[in-house]
Formats: sequence, structure tokens, C-alpha cells
Amino acid sequence: MGMSFGRYVVYRTVNAIIILFLAVLLMSALFTKLADEQLTGQVQDQIQAFAQSYAKTHHQEPTKELLEKQRAIYMHDYGLDKPYWRRAWDYTVNTFTFRWGKSIPRVFGTRDVREQIWTALLRTILLFTTAEILVILIGIALGVKSAQQPGSILDRTISILAMLTTSLPMWWLGMLMILFFVVYLGWLPITLYSQVFTANTKQLLEKMSLPVLTIVINLFGGWAWTTRNIMIGTMQEDFIMVARAKGVPERKVIYGHALKAAAPPIITMVIFGLIGSLSGAIITEIVFNWPGMGRLYWQALQADAVKTMMALNYMFAILTVFSMVLADILYAYLDPRVRIGAAARS
Amino acid sequence: MRWVDFKDSVKRFWSDYKHQKSGMLGIISLLFLIVIALAAPIITNPNVPQEWQPGGTAWLVNPKNAPPVWENYFTHESMASAVQFKPGQYHVVKSSKDGYNVYTITVDYNMNYQLPPVDIVLLNLKSNASLPKDNPVVKVQIIRPPEKGVKNNTLLLIDGVQFPSGSQIQIAGLQNTLNYLLYWLYENGVLKLNMPPQMVNPNSMQFLIMTNPQASKLVAALSADRRMQIVFGRITDNAGNPRSFNDVVNNPEPLKGNYKVRITITAPKEVNVDFSDFKIAIVGRAYGLLGTDQYGRPIALGLLWGTRVALAIGLAVSIASVLIGIFIGVASAYLGGWADEAIQRFTEFMMTLPVLPMLILLSLYLGGRIDLTQLVIILVIFGWMGTTKVARSMALQIKEQTYIEAARALGASTGRVIFKHIVPQLLPYAFASIALSVPGAILSEAGLSFLGLTSQNMITWGQMLNAANQNGATMNGYWWQIIPPGLAIAFVGLVFVLIGVSLDTVLNPRLKRS
Repeated sequence: MGMSFGRYVVYRTVNAIIILFLAVLLMSALFTKLADEQLTGQVQDQIQAFAQSYAKTHHQEPTKELLEKQRAIYMHDYGLDKPYWRRAWDYTVNTFTFRWGKSIPRVFGTRDVREQIWTALLRTILLFTTAEILVILIGIALGVKSAQQPGSILDRTISILAMLTTSLPMWWLGMLMILFFVVYLGWLPITLYSQVFTANTKQLLEKMSLPVLTIVINLFGGWAWTTRNIMIGTMQEDFIMVARAKGVPERKVIYGHALKAAAPPIITMVIFGLIGSLSGAIITEIVFNWPGMGRLYWQALQADAVKTMMALNYMFAILTVFSMVLADILYAYLDPRVRIGAAARS
Repeated sequence: MRWVDFKDSVKRFWSDYKHQKSGMLGIISLLFLIVIALAAPIITNPNVPQEWQPGGTAWLVNPKNAPPVWENYFTHESMASAVQFKPGQYHVVKSSKDGYNVYTITVDYNMNYQLPPVDIVLLNLKSNASLPKDNPVVKVQIIRPPEKGVKNNTLLLIDGVQFPSGSQIQIAGLQNTLNYLLYWLYENGVLKLNMPPQMVNPNSMQFLIMTNPQASKLVAALSADRRMQIVFGRITDNAGNPRSFNDVVNNPEPLKGNYKVRITITAPKEVNVDFSDFKIAIVGRAYGLLGTDQYGRPIALGLLWGTRVALAIGLAVSIASVLIGIFIGVASAYLGGWADEAIQRFTEFMMTLPVLPMLILLSLYLGGRIDLTQLVIILVIFGWMGTTKVARSMALQIKEQTYIEAARALGASTGRVIFKHIVPQLLPYAFASIALSVPGAILSEAGLSFLGLTSQNMITWGQMLNAANQNGATMNGYWWQIIPPGLAIAFVGLVFVLIGVSLDTVLNPRLKRS
């Protein structure tokens, strides 16, 4: 029942697109209700404006019939005369094909939702991907080191750190960082984090420093711990015993044999981490006033920018779905046994 | 499973678990948390959740944004702590005069701090006056410790202020207080006015100040807090000469020593005045074990009550989602075929939905703020998939074992096979994953509350952090509003991780090797 690699990739991708479409359908169904409330309010405002201008030009109040006719026109303009499911479906198709339109309030200086998200995405990549790369490097290095001596002080410290940091909210750690480094030690100016925008590259790098530190502290323990567990598992395999028995130097056993064998799950984790980092951490960006995807979501939420929120949700869904698919595909490439299993199952 | 077997296996499990140091630490901490959660209404008072809403009057007598009292040990500027005189802690002397009853209360306050109290609040005096003119009227005087060069040690703060039944009087902010204070400064030569003395009296102070641009600027800057720094501050220098008005306002120096606060309440004879709930609060700058937030709510109290919601959400969500997850996983494995296929596709679909954005979306859909029950249901909806995947793969292995075949051959129903033979084998895994999924649920709640999307009818650590964030606590350096709630979240998370990891080690023998 084996499946060629190419077919597997196509299969997984098609599967992912279907899932993504269904996710958008569900989100649209929920969002249409919110959009309705907003648009109905908008129509109400326009009717009032119409009545006022009519009274001014015609020197008499518009008749009820005229107002109703006008309302029908506006309703039609916004598509409110169509049934709920029809609108939800249209919204799904538009969102899915990146026709995101314009948000009613201005967010990040523009009404164009695509522009808003593009600006935010770049900034999130800058911050979180930088941090994630650091986390991965530190995490894997420490994980491999502690797998070499299970039970050592380093190993135990990492286990405890991993447990501690997974129970900490990242954004709370961020608040502590600001409190400590900005307010008490005064190493960075307070304006850097009390406002959203930065003037120049130097300031941007300064502004990045604390969130990056926060993300690294919050995540490296978990990475180190998982790497350690995978490595310890691999180190007990027969081929490592054989290598050792053959007299291969320990360094080579670890970095050559064991790490290579442990690569598939670790690479999967890297993919998840890197793509997951793009969705940022909504609240962490809010805490640090970092104008990325999270901050955009927050501003959209505050300003009731329904279309921006929908587009962001779609982006987050894309990132989640495709990191899963990419991880699966990569795994299948590195470890062909998976494909057979997957094919048999799916 | 027979009762004896069950007892035996519990015993065996416990003797294994006992050796897990971190696991025992987790269990002890969990018991501690449960005791705290259950005892909260008893050791504090059951009305706290109602009183917790912002804008309530329950915390009026507390200082706002006050650090904990013990911060005094670490700073040069010791801050006055809050003192309340409740019935029984003061003595009411009653006399009568011209058809009026006069009640006098004198309390001692030892002002030994660099930064004096911010306010004096009188509250909960009850009377049965039916007309406003019959309301008791209050006079408050402060008898200051002797100070060289000061003629008049007794400072009048308010006089003739009406005290309707059940209301509060916050003295520092009243215009009445400011007038008397300025008059007293004038009497003692601190405030200089180019007026003949006979024209100056407390009631004309406001007008007189307006004629003096410099003084009027200084007075405009006299916030309630600054006024109290004058009341409890030095107004003469070491030689006994009056300090300048500018110095008194802008460089207040404390006058340490014993103060007496004298409160005189006058009411018509026919009006009945009830002191049974009357309190005199000297509002300090530091408060209790963990300080207060911007509404004067004690952080320690919130921390205590937050335990209830944290445990409730954490346990309800994790138990429900793990049990549902196991059930769906086992059903999927056992049914096989297209049912398995459909369940698996659906599970993958749910897994691909980004959790926090979906939670935000649902909370908007539900009308902005979600309450406890809705929150639990939503978190369960987004929390069962991981368990399902694992449970399915475990069930697939168990399904192939001979005793299942035997049971089926003997005519056992699907339900019986699932619940009697497969699910019990997954229970060890379930226990561990319940414990391990608690922190996630608590973190999700904290995140949503931080974004202001949960109902304010409950006290949660996430909402405390939300309040802190709205208050700009980080930028203002109000560490007591940030650190304790976060540590509490982390502590509960850690407790369950400790328990979960230990359960995993004991119950899943294949992990024992390392």
C-alpha cells in the first residue's frame, strides 16, 4: 500500500486545502453575524444622513416610502438583502481567495486589509523568527549536552527550567522584563515600550531586545527538554551500542550517529516552531507594543475592524494548517515508513 | 475489575508514587491550593466577588495603587500604613447642649513615617434624621505634636459638614478642609497675605488666595494627597521660624510624633445616632501583605479568591476534554472504517483551527464577555483533539489483543468492550494527561481575561493582570500588581506539571528507563 513521495505530497496538500476551506467557512459563519451588526448600524447612519440632506434640499421631511426605498438600496449595496448563508458563503469565498477588501475603521494607517496584514506580518517575522532561531539553537545545544549525561546537574536544571517555563505565560514574563530592565534598571527608555512606533533602526533593535529575550527564556527550556528526551531515546538504540563497541569516538557517536537519527522529529519541531512563530504571540506583542500581527489583532478588536480580524484569523489558520502539512511531508521524506502508515490510514 | 483488585492496584500505585519527590511536592501543593480555594469565603468574607467589581464602594477606605507594607523595610521613604478604628477601638463621649446631643471621639495616631497618610475617611454613621437639616454635622480636629514656633497645635480640618446616614466623608478632598488648612497656615505665619487681619477668615480664604497669583498657583497644585502632607508636616524650621509657603507645599517634611484625631458629631436630640458600624479610616500609602490596585482592591484578597476560578477552570476543562478525547479516540479505533475516517478528519480539522484567535472570535460571537460556563465549554471544544489522537493509537493496539477477541466471541456488546476492556487500560494515560493539560487551560483563561474578553463577575488572576495592564502598572513600577498574579498562575501550572510528570513515570512503565 505504499505511496510515492510525490503522490503523498499532493495528497496531503489537497487535504490541507479542503480543511482550510472548511475552517474559513466556519469562521465566516461566525463573523457574518458580527459584520451584520456593524453593517446594519452603518445603514442606519446613512439613512439618517440621507434624511437630513433631503430635508435641506427639498425643504420637507422625506416620506416613509422614500426612506424605505433608500434603505433597500443601501441594504442591497452591502448585500444585507441576501440570506445569511448566502452571505457567509460569499464571505468564505472572498476570504479564501485573499479578496479581503477594506476595513471600516483605519488600522495601521490604512483601510486596505491586505496592506495592514502585510505590514504586520513583516514585523512579526522580524521579531519572532529571530527569537525562534535563537531558541532552536540554544535549545538543541543544551538538549544534546544534557542527553550526554542524564541525571547530571545540567540535565536536572534543564528539566526543572522546562517545567517552570512551560507554566509561565509568555506575556507575563514580558511584563516582568519591562518592569525589571526598563522601569527599575532603566537600561532602556520607557518610551520605547509605552508607544508603538520607533524612529530608526537602532531604536528598533533596542525595542526588539526585550521581547526576544522574553521569548528565548520562555521557550528554550521546553526545546532543550524535548531534544534531550528524543536523544536519550536514540542513544539506547542498538546501532549506537554497536558504534560504541566498534570504538567510534563518543563525540562522533553523538553528533554523527545519534543526532542524525534523531533529526526527523527535531526538524519537525523546527518547522512547527518557525511557522508557528509567524502567528506571533498575540498578547506578547500587545505587552511590548510591537506592531505585528498580534498588535494588529488587538487594534482590530478594539476598533471593531471585523474584516481585519477575519483576514488575520485566516492567516493564522493558513500558518497552522501548512506548518502541519509541511512537517508531515518533511517527516515522510526523512522517514519513508511514515508514508506507508499514513497511506494505510488515510 | 473486582473491588479487591482495585484496592490492590491503588495501593501499589501509591507505594510507587510515594517515591516521586516532585510528585509528592505537587500533591502537597495541590492540597494546599484546594484548602485555600475552599476556605476563601470563610477566612475573608463571602461578599468579596460582588464587591470586587470596579466602581464599588467597598474599597473606598483603601489607598489606591499602594505597595505592600513590608516594602518599608527596603526603602528610605517609609510610607504610612493604613489604620482603621472600628467600634470598640474608640470611645464615644456623649454630652448635650442647647437641644443637641454632642458625641466626641478622640483617637491616637502615631505618625512615624517619612510619607504621611493620604486621607482620613469617616464612614457608616447611621442616623434616623428624616430631613436634611436634621442630619448630624461633623467637626474634625487634629491635635498635632508640639512644634517649635507654632502657636496653634490644633488644626481644624472640617466643621459643620453634614453626615447623611450611611454616607462617607473623605476629608482630604473637601473644599472645607482646604479653607481651614490655608487659614491655619496664615495664622502661623506661613501663608502671607496683604490683608488686614480682621478681613481674613476661613470662609474668605478662596477669595483672598485669588488676589495673590503666586499663592494661588501653589494652592492649585495642592492635591488631596499634598494637603495631608501639610497636615502631618513641619511648618517651621529648626529655629522655630515659619517655613515659606512654597517650601511647605513643594518640599513637605514630615512631623513625626503622636497625633490625636478628634471627631465631634452634633445632632438634634430627637435624632438617634448609631455608632455600631461607624469607622474612622486613616488611609495610608502602603497596604497589607501585597498592596492594592487602582481601585483600592487588596491584591492578596484577589490572589486568594483567584485560586477558586483557576482550579475550577483547570480541573473542569482538563477532566472533560481528556475524557471526551479518550472516548472519541477509542470509538474511532474500535469502529474503524468510514466512521474512523470521518472522526479522524474532523479531529484534524479541529486541530488546525488556531486556538486563541478562535477563542477571541467566539467570545465576540457570544456578545463580548464570556462567563465561566461558556469559557469551560469553549476550552473543552478546543482541547480534546490531542488526547483523541493518542487514545486512538493506543486503542488500536489494545483492540488486537486476544482477550478482546474472546470477549467479543462471548457476545459482549460494543459498549461493554469499550468501557469494560479498552477504556480502563487507558486510564493511567488519562490521569497523567489530565494533570498535564491543566496549565494550558489556566493559561488560556488568563490570556482571554488579559484581553478583557471574560466576564467580570469572577475574580481571576488573568483579570487582575488585565487591570494592572490598564493601569499601566509596568510603566509605573507597581510590581505588586504584576508579580503575584503571574506567580500564582505559574505556581498552579507547575503543581499540575509536577503531578502529571510523576503520574506518567509511575503509570507508564515504558518511560521508567530514564
